[in-house]
Amino acid sequence: MDIAAMRASFAKAAATGDEAPLYFYSHLFLSHPETRAMFPVSMAHQRDRFFHALGEVVSRVDDLDALVPILKQLGHDHRKFGTLPAHYPAVMPSLLATLEHFDDEWDEHRARTWTEAYELVAAVMIQGAEESADQPATWRAEVVAHERRAIDVAVLQVRPEVPVNYLPGQSMSLEIDRRPRLWRYYSPANAPRDDGTLELHVKARPGGPVSTALVRSTEVGDLMRLGPPLGELTLADDSDRDLLLVAGGMGLAPLKALVDQVARQGPARRVDLFVGARTEDHLYDRAAIAELQAAHPWLTVTCAVSDDALSGLEHGDIGDVVLRHGPWLSREVFVAGPVPMVEATVGGLLAHGVPRERVRSEVFAPSRPGPSAEGKVTE
Amino acid sequence: MTSTETSGTGGAARRLSPEQIRGARFTSGSMLHPGYDQSEVDRFRDLVAAEVGSLVGERDDLRRQVAELQQRLSGTAVPEPPSEQAVKILASAQQTADEYVAEAEDFSRQMTAEARDQYEEQLRLARENAGAIMQAAQEAAARLALPGGGDGDTTAGQRTTAELEEQVAFLKAFAQACRAQLRAYLEALLSDVETEWGRVDPALAPEALAAAQAGRRPGGTAAPQTAFHGNSAAGPAEVQAEEAERTATAGARATGG
Repeated sequence: MDIAAMRASFAKAAATGDEAPLYFYSHLFLSHPETRAMFPVSMAHQRDRFFHALGEVVSRVDDLDALVPILKQLGHDHRKFGTLPAHYPAVMPSLLATLEHFDDEWDEHRARTWTEAYELVAAVMIQGAEESADQPATWRAEVVAHERRAIDVAVLQVRPEVPVNYLPGQSMSLEIDRRPRLWRYYSPANAPRDDGTLELHVKARPGGPVSTALVRSTEVGDLMRLGPPLGELTLADDSDRDLLLVAGGMGLAPLKALVDQVARQGPARRVDLFVGARTEDHLYDRAAIAELQAAHPWLTVTCAVSDDALSGLEHGDIGDVVLRHGPWLSREVFVAGPVPMVEATVGGLLAHGVPRERVRSEVFAPSRPGPSAEGKVTE
Repeated sequence: MTSTETSGTGGAARRLSPEQIRGARFTSGSMLHPGYDQSEVDRFRDLVAAEVGSLVGERDDLRRQVAELQQRLSGTAVPEPPSEQAVKILASAQQTADEYVAEAEDFSRQMTAEARDQYEEQLRLARENAGAIMQAAQEAAARLALPGGGDGDTTAGQRTTAELEEQVAFLKAFAQACRAQLRAYLEALLSDVETEWGRVDPALAPEALAAAQAGRRPGGTAAPQTAFHGNSAAGPAEVQAEEAERTATAGARATGG
């Protein structure tokens, strides 16, 4: 495999910006029209992600130790799109045609190099998909409850046909029938229950097709598909330290799942949960949290608002409020919320002296990329 | 069964036909060995003939199927790579579709964000006003309740307190109504935006694809037509966007008045 030549021809294609992926998908859909149905109507985000992923592969092709786990995960996650082993070879002629089209130095040698590289990548991805063949590619789930909590927030209960085996704090992607081929990540707000139901917290993002439909037009009985769970915002097995959980906005969901896990499975530990919002109206899950607090003496909940002069709650950015209640030096810390909130809170806690390895955080933003950020999300 | 008329001529290469079996002749036996019962042999012969007949039929069927499948396979085994022209047409059709979706999304984003900001701002103002008025009312009530006034003042004070309470109740109801109205307005805006999204249907895509596929055939005359199909497929989205805009202005006017 001539890695230098490979990188040279990829650089030429990548330099064209959107043109090369546009050419590639057009070529693919004309050669195999049946694959078109696997993609959403608008391909703009898809193209970005595809070339981004290809770039990752090309830049790490000489570091197989790093590349193989990524590719396996990618193959594993591709099962939810309906990707079959037979699809992989079908893609190759279109990829080669694209590279050839944009590379004036294309020759037999480069074609051979890319063929070898592609076959390797496909083989590893297929292997990744096969390793997870014991679990379903997707879980069909039905909405069993839908509650509007605010003008733009809903809390859903969904029941998968087959229980999903996930860890509290993980996310899964979902696709609803109303918005086919658009996958978005959501975190269940509960630890696995006996009946397998999941609680999902959804905020309608301006212009967000999936979130808006989930909040505003989804009804009991609607169906969705769930992708495999993933994410690292989970409790470590080897620690029973007390917890400090800091939530902003929709970041509450995974942290509520961690509280639920402590309640259901232990070990016994003190848990402090801080929930920040701009105004009281934005604290969409206050009643449920108050119930949790009343039920569990080990749990302390503090709600705070940052922009609501009339509120009787604590005032200030949640990161500052947390620091006012310290010290937190002995805690295992989990932070989830929008980017500025996560950055400020984590920065504050590190400055406060909490060791880096005991702080886990995850950003909850509109159309956030998957928790492992390898470009698996549809927008 | 000692011999048949054709047994020697065909050999192993030729398969036994039902006719051959039917035409088989058996030599008669001697007095000591009376030979086979002729009717038994006849029955057996018919049986064999039927069996071989159906086998031959099955074999012909299978041969036909194999030939068909082989033909189909050789048709697709080496798919013609799509022509440069077809790729370009589909690419531009896809780009057009992407732009429409992006515009619709952006439109929806702006509209929702504006509506929400407006809603929150009005709500904040209403709450602040209500808070200020209630505070003023409470202060006034406290002043009036202070001893030192005459008897007439007390009744006047009571009346004023009652009035103020009434006013407070009215303001609370007013704030509630404001909130409900704003909410309804925002709901209307959002559902417009929604309808727009609902109409973007992936089922349209295969049509556009089929249209672009037509461009694959050699002979450039198909091309302009395909491009035209691509444009007209995107047409309804534009109309919808305009519709939504109209509804939106109508909604704004209704709330303004």
